[in-house]
Amino acid sequence: MQQVYSTPKSIKKDSTFTFCAGCDHGLAIKLVAEVLDELNLRENTIAVASSGCSVFLYDFLDVDCIESPHGRACAVATGIKRAHRALNEEKFVFTYQGDGDFASIGLSESLHSALRGENISVICINNTNYGMTGGQMGPTTVLGQHTTTSPNGRNVKYHGYPIKTAEQIALCDGTCFSARVALCDIKNIINAKEQIKKCFEYQKQNLGFSFVEILSSCPTNWKLSPSDSHKKIKEELSEIYPLKVFKDIKEND
Amino acid sequence: MSFIEIDNNKCKSCYLCIDVCPFKLIKKSETIGKTGQNIVEFKDENSKCSACKMCAMMCPDIAITKVWKT
Ligand SMILES: Cc1ncc(C[n+]2csc(CCOP(=O)(O)OP(=O)(O)O)c2C)c(N)n1
Ligand code: SF4
Ligand code: SF4
Repeated sequence: MQQVYSTPKSIKKDSTFTFCAGCDHGLAIKLVAEVLDELNLRENTIAVASSGCSVFLYDFLDVDCIESPHGRACAVATGIKRAHRALNEEKFVFTYQGDGDFASIGLSESLHSALRGENISVICINNTNYGMTGGQMGPTTVLGQHTTTSPNGRNVKYHGYPIKTAEQIALCDGTCFSARVALCDIKNIINAKEQIKKCFEYQKQNLGFSFVEILSSCPTNWKLSPSDSHKKIKEELSEIYPLKVFKDIKEND
Repeated sequence: MSFIEIDNNKCKSCYLCIDVCPFKLIKKSETIGKTGQNIVEFKDENSKCSACKMCAMMCPDIAITKVWKT
């Protein structure tokens, strides 16, 4: 008898995720843990957590973790990466942020980290709302989407357009890798893991700012079942937010 | 006979694993889990499980902790 699946080593023993049932945050963190295992990074990683549903990241991942103020994860990661470099220590540093955290309150820190070509990696969860605080409209809320602060649907005249984060980050000269993936079925989960792996490998190779946006479900605030949430991502959201690699400096060369 | 192990304390009854099993070997059980809903159970009377591990890959809560292939 052969064991073909086991819990990733980078997940803390006996930890239980605090996410709602069927939330893609759990899938995303699991993939991150699998990649940390496969690249043998666990002992050398400092993860930067953010404000949002994933605030307890340090309870889930068995790596060193630091909590950052809302939106400031890239700035904190910059400091950690540079301070260790000054001590001649090369640490693997990544942030795990919601879309509200990365692309709204923290947009300045995020964008300028990419423009500086800061050698850090970012995992950004795009669930089209502010999940933790009750599903308010966020920077990625799509046109027409009903949230607690856009009860009649996001209206372009009143609220403006949503941000396409992975495309914007790809435009920054300091970015070495920018992709958008989803977790709505097995095929997409396999691809998501490949892109996360690439993102992390590029930091190891010192290539600059590497970024993966994960189109994720928020069944609770979307008021859909987990299964219907995945269907919505597959059929609607991935049309608005295309799933592809927007920048890969190795491919472009 | 391949099989999976489910941690009843971790299952949140999201039922994503039910959809993904190609042989429909995972079903709602009689047991109520911590979210107040019926958690799932693995039933494979005809030894159909191929250890494809898609259920484990799909579970957001790592409640499917092990997959064994024979
Ligand atoms: C400075 C500051 N303002 C507001 C908040 C309240 N707050 C906590 S989490 C959050 C939204 C997080 O949304 P997002 O980043 O999209 O992550 P999600 O919860 O959806 O995963 C807000 C507004 C805060 N913690 N700090
Ligand atoms: S509120 Fe949404 S994003 Fe937050 S844990 Fe629940 S389902 Fe996940
Ligand atoms: S996917 Fe996991 S948490 Fe969801 S019902 Fe199946 S075993 Fe339970």
